[in-house]
Amino acid sequence: MHLTSEQERTLSGERGAAKELAMTILAKVGEALGADSLVPIKSAHVLAHYSSLHEAGIEVLEKFSSSGGRFAVPTTVDPASVDLENWKSFGISQEYAEKQFRLCAAFAKLGGIPCWSCAQYQVCNFPKAGETVAWAESNSVVFANSLIGCRTNKITSGLDIACAIMGLTPRFGMLLDENRLAQVAFRSTIDRPTDLDYRSLGYYIGRHSGSRVPGLDGLPRDVSSDDLKHLGAAAAAGGPVTMIHYVGITPGSESLKSASRGERVETIDVGRKELDEVEADLNQSEEKPDLVALGVPHLSVNELGQLAKILDGKRLKGGTRLYVYTSSQAYDLAKRSGVKREIERSGARLTHSTDAEVSPLKKLGFDVVMTNSAKLAEIVSSEGEVKIRYKQIAEIVEEATS
Amino acid sequence: MTKLLSFKGRVLLEGSAKGEALVSKRAFTFAHGVEPSTGVVTDIRSDLRGEKVKEKILFFPFGKGSTTGAAWFLETVRMGNGPAAVLTQTAEAMIVTGAILAEMLYGRRIPVMTDFPETIASLIHSGDLVTVETKTREVTVSGEGS
Repeated sequence: MHLTSEQERTLSGERGAAKELAMTILAKVGEALGADSLVPIKSAHVLAHYSSLHEAGIEVLEKFSSSGGRFAVPTTVDPASVDLENWKSFGISQEYAEKQFRLCAAFAKLGGIPCWSCAQYQVCNFPKAGETVAWAESNSVVFANSLIGCRTNKITSGLDIACAIMGLTPRFGMLLDENRLAQVAFRSTIDRPTDLDYRSLGYYIGRHSGSRVPGLDGLPRDVSSDDLKHLGAAAAAGGPVTMIHYVGITPGSESLKSASRGERVETIDVGRKELDEVEADLNQSEEKPDLVALGVPHLSVNELGQLAKILDGKRLKGGTRLYVYTSSQAYDLAKRSGVKREIERSGARLTHSTDAEVSPLKKLGFDVVMTNSAKLAEIVSSEGEVKIRYKQIAEIVEEATS
Repeated sequence: MTKLLSFKGRVLLEGSAKGEALVSKRAFTFAHGVEPSTGVVTDIRSDLRGEKVKEKILFFPFGKGSTTGAAWFLETVRMGNGPAAVLTQTAEAMIVTGAILAEMLYGRRIPVMTDFPETIASLIHSGDLVTVETKTREVTVSGEGS
């Protein structure tokens, strides 16, 4: 990989310890992945939640922040492991919260934007088409490449901080034109997809794309950006997907032919049978849930409004909790518009700055979690501690409320 | 001991290591897939579920899962349960990042190599005694597992 003379000087420590460490990571990882150079980025999105970063991750962030590190570009952050405002009332221990607060303090010292959301592209980090960014959250990577038309690889933790500090990212993978063409096509034959269908369809694409960039045709005209947020998140949870050419939606993908630049690709039909298979795979239990988790990725303010309507007049049954995960910004808007009160009238709770997949579900005593998030289902099941019931919102509300 | 088999790969992080092989034929992740405090593979979709990665020469074809992989890898090393070396078919950024940080923070050097032929997973078996030497870009199986 080619380094400029300035980058070489940074690597040899002439620009301080934090930049030396950041440049070492960029150079080695760039080399490993076959990058030819480091290129400038417009923004970074990094990870700083205790549940996955652990003690070691705190040490990494503190090493950067205590050795003079400072983010060179606007840098947003994924959800924390606790609700940063109301953590006590969710039963989080002081000891656990303090671990998260150390990450928050290091992130603040590095000069980050404390948005604590995995749908940062809906609230506080808006690139324009054609820009290069370095984002670490897999759902937002799919959203960025597929819907915004900017370019990012799926940046791993540790490398994310290095990119943010240098304002650079290794040039490889999805930054290159030739790697952004559709190499396999999926055709949805689902007539009117439910919330769960969008997620199951995404998960199916993730499972069956392998390392190929997928295209997707057959979505209804009225598919919303929120639907596509959940579809993309499920795809990235099911496999190494970083972009989906949504035919007729993705910039430059007016047809499957333009998405693949004329190359013939394998076409896979996805219908009811395939989605049933996904549901059967992700749904691991028929036991009564002790938690219903809605979010993963964060619900938008529009989705909160829709949920308020669904929950109108309903009351949560005893023994079940319903947590609704969103960004601080959408939480604030829902509070001021009255939507938060409407949702919580049912007995549900709105929570912000955290998300179910990064919160300590098992430690909080939850054994069976019901959700319509394929991403949450995939992550929780791989840990093998908490059982997942994977259902559509209509069934969830039917079962959890009276 | 007779030299049985050797393979050349591409060196991502330098070092030498010797240990028992632990070989997966499926996509592998440390994130939510290996418990750092024990080094035990917990991922229900892994063919290594229940095995310990500690001090093993870990081979898997390619990575998967959450981008927090490097953090989980690093924490596993911090807890003293990290592998002796990691070998893959396709270069895996999470392992490289985690291993760089492991050396910087905890002084543990874990060699990482990649670009091995697809056949390696059927020629090296879990339990085989394996030597990794990045100076010669070579992985050698020096003894069969029992």
